[in-house]
Amino acid sequence: MPSAKACAIALAGLALPASGLAQSSPLTPPIASYDISCRLDTGKKAIEGTELLTWTNGTARPADTLQFHLYLNAFRNTRSTLWKESRGEGREGGRIPESWGSVELLRMTLQDNTDLLPTLSYISPDDGNPDDRTVAEVRLPRPVAPGETISVAIDFRSRLPRVALRTGYKGDFYLVAQWFPKLGVFQEPGWNCHQFHATSEFFSDFGNYDVSIDVPAFYKGKVGATGRQVEERLSSDRIVYRFRQASVHDFAWTADPAYLVVRDKFHEAGLRDVDLILLLQPEHSGQRERTLRAARAGISGYGRILGAYPYDTLTIVDPPWGARAAGGMEYPTLIAAGTSISAPAAVLSPEGVTVHEFGHQFFYGLLASNEFEEPYLDEGFNTYMTDRVLAATYGVNHEYLSIFGLRFPLGIDVHYPVDANRRYFAVASRDIHATKSWKFRDRRTYGAASYAHTALALATLERLLTTNVMDRALRLYADRWRFRHPTLGDFIATVNDTAGRDWTWYFNRTFFSSDDVDYAVEEVTSTPSKAPKGLFEKEGKLVEGLPPELAKTRGYDSVVTVTRRGGTALPVEILLRFEGGKTHRTLWDGEARWTRFTVSQGPRLLEAIVDPDEKILLDSDRFNNGRRAEGDARAAARWTSRTVFWVQNLLDFLTVAW
Amino acid sequence: MTERHALACFLRGLALSLSKPYLAVSLWLIQLLLAAVLILPISNSLHDLLDNSVAGSRMVANPEFGWWETVQREHPDLFGNFGELAAGLLTPEGVKSSQLPGLRGIGATAVSLGFLAVVLHAFALGGVFGTLREPKASLVTLGREGMRRFPAFLLFTLAALAAAGAAYRWIYLETGEALRGRVANLDSEGKALAITALRLIALLLTLAAIKLVADSVRAVWVARPDLPPISRFFAGIASALGRPARLFGVLVSYAIVTAALYLIWLWLDPSAGGEARFALVPLILTQQVFVFVRLFVKVGYYAGVSEALTRAPSPEYSYVAAPSPAPAPPESPGEQPASQLRSRREESLGLP
Repeated sequence: MPSAKACAIALAGLALPASGLAQSSPLTPPIASYDISCRLDTGKKAIEGTELLTWTNGTARPADTLQFHLYLNAFRNTRSTLWKESRGEGREGGRIPESWGSVELLRMTLQDNTDLLPTLSYISPDDGNPDDRTVAEVRLPRPVAPGETISVAIDFRSRLPRVALRTGYKGDFYLVAQWFPKLGVFQEPGWNCHQFHATSEFFSDFGNYDVSIDVPAFYKGKVGATGRQVEERLSSDRIVYRFRQASVHDFAWTADPAYLVVRDKFHEAGLRDVDLILLLQPEHSGQRERTLRAARAGISGYGRILGAYPYDTLTIVDPPWGARAAGGMEYPTLIAAGTSISAPAAVLSPEGVTVHEFGHQFFYGLLASNEFEEPYLDEGFNTYMTDRVLAATYGVNHEYLSIFGLRFPLGIDVHYPVDANRRYFAVASRDIHATKSWKFRDRRTYGAASYAHTALALATLERLLTTNVMDRALRLYADRWRFRHPTLGDFIATVNDTAGRDWTWYFNRTFFSSDDVDYAVEEVTSTPSKAPKGLFEKEGKLVEGLPPELAKTRGYDSVVTVTRRGGTALPVEILLRFEGGKTHRTLWDGEARWTRFTVSQGPRLLEAIVDPDEKILLDSDRFNNGRRAEGDARAAARWTSRTVFWVQNLLDFLTVAW
Repeated sequence: MTERHALACFLRGLALSLSKPYLAVSLWLIQLLLAAVLILPISNSLHDLLDNSVAGSRMVANPEFGWWETVQREHPDLFGNFGELAAGLLTPEGVKSSQLPGLRGIGATAVSLGFLAVVLHAFALGGVFGTLREPKASLVTLGREGMRRFPAFLLFTLAALAAAGAAYRWIYLETGEALRGRVANLDSEGKALAITALRLIALLLTLAAIKLVADSVRAVWVARPDLPPISRFFAGIASALGRPARLFGVLVSYAIVTAALYLIWLWLDPSAGGEARFALVPLILTQQVFVFVRLFVKVGYYAGVSEALTRAPSPEYSYVAAPSPAPAPPESPGEQPASQLRSRREESLGLP
């Protein structure tokens, strides 16, 4: 049961309008605001809390029910949809530990004290799983009219699992996310409130959050959360932190007595100042500057293109060893990054995840698309932007060899964005790319399509449109849809408006299709021209022998055949490079399965390249995009010698050990 | 009788290896012939993939991440999961035998060649140990000695291989599996790395023990033809147990020198930078010289093990001072006094 103190705070909250408690200047009118008081029981790994929800029906239709996400119930038992879909596999590939989590509703009343709990039922709108308890519905005594605001007081008890999927504890470390009963999104068609799936994230409405967190005193100074800390109250063995943040759609917090707390400030002309709070594991203290630099690069890089990050704070959490599954996650103004002891500077390990998770402050945070239904809108768009920021800030990444947990960089460049997203090519045609997150064939195709494919599709679009037009489209999209719920259709409309042309065909072919892209130069020949033979007309008669004007042959006859091996047709350029430096470029619409170019008595053809400027980054095999008329054996010979040399060494190693 | 230091044994072994260069030559030839099985498939595949590709010119100097990914994806039958297995060997989780069916093409052939290399290794060791004890020997001696001892040495090698496999499974893989939950609950990654290091050290020490016992048995098997086989076998084990520190010292010396050679190679990296540094032929020659030098050291190690097991310099070695004056001739031809037999045994092997 909630403590008397917590109840008192909740009652106090009932008497005050939610907006009065939140940040003084909300950036958008609140739809769903939360005033929460909670108490962490470290012994039971549980949280008891009271919540005052203030919700405004922003649609044109009345609402006769409320639907809530109860995400932690995904960890209730092995019959939940999460367990069934994941087959018990955690985010990092290992088994989800049998450490159960749940959220129980202890009280739910309207402002007139109407008890809603008797009407509560669990629903499974996505898969009909009767054992899933991640979505609850309560029936209201009377519908909430359009524009009307109601308040609901809720007591709840959340039991946290050991970290395996984003949220939970490990020892004294807590990353408390998806932990309180949270309202779904009420739209014109009705409630949009999906179950917790193995491969899905979240979707909520904007509001103002005022959250008091009561933790044992040994967490003093080691608590971080969404928003700005506005209060710290220390009693004998407990300490209460209060955080506020306006105009966000979720709230997460973390506590770990081991945290090394680093504070810094982001300042750049033309952008808002941001207080950076880095909660670092002591064994990663050497990476403090790298992480902060990445955060600054993210705030600057995203802000320059999409508009300034509008919040005052950014908290970066570094989960400890054994709780990495809590890392690589985003919450409003709080991101969980993660790194390793072994993070050589050449390998952009903390940098990549820090920039990416910060980027979600835009794609998910401000542009609050439906992560269940259109996962590519946050993950893919964000991956595209992450690649741009990383490339601009660091140049290239490097491949590494992991030796017993320690990373050693290899001298092999990993270029953004193609190399960084190669995982897409391995599963390119397994699913339609624009698929609902939980309907992908498996986690691998979900990741490949949502992250990597979308990043490559947008990078290709950027090269087709030009960077300038792409940046204007992104900015317009961000301005139009900031603090709203955009869809892919909204982005397409923005691109069309910016480019002044209809690019819907491009999205139809790359998003609403499972086809891959692969162009190849199949044939390149260039042989000395030969004089024709046979019968020719001479003075009106057919005679054997060449007319004088045909007898003189010169130059080369060249043939180039280009094929479209992939299912997706995109217009491509073809470059023919001749001896003496002469080149010929031509644009092929790419619709047919093949096209052929012949040049008679021209200069000697050296090579043909399809897509010479590397615009079509979705091309799954770029190494067949060019072909030389005459082979060059140097690379193969050198690599053969290198390979045989190491085979000799490997064979010797095999015989040394016994 | 004098007890020589491990390093001295290893250095004497190196000197002996240098005095019989054909031993390293023969090992080099065996390895080259084994690797040659792969030359054609690798070469043909690479020429097919690179010669006419515009990416080929970029690949003369440096590998391309994208090329390797594309080759593995577009040509899964070329290597199978070979890269994954090789990388897996270096992980805390290790590689399980159940992953072997994922091998294909060149990758599968390479692993099969590994088994063939083990068999040839047994033959070569018989030859090396036998030849090392001959004052005057040649490549023919190596072949003869190798074939003479092949059945026994193959058994020793396979037994050592099985023991090493069991050690990998039970000391490395199974402990990793058993400790997985506890390691995940440790409060720092540093401790987790330390656990992995301890598992690895335990495995390496066990492998070293297996190797030293196997090499001792081989050395004694060659040095004591007068003993029945079963006695030779146990005498070999007893020799290893009797001088563990010295033998281990020889092995460590060998490991350090070999590691130093690899570090020098990686530092110089003759294959980097494309043709700007080394043309193809000098590159191949440099590579083979490196292999050759490494094999000199390897032969030196085996000679060092023989030295470490010999209490006094073996009389067969040409560079060793002549043995003590011959005893009085036997009373009848063909008959030797028991005391003389014992004396020779003590000279050749430091039996406890």
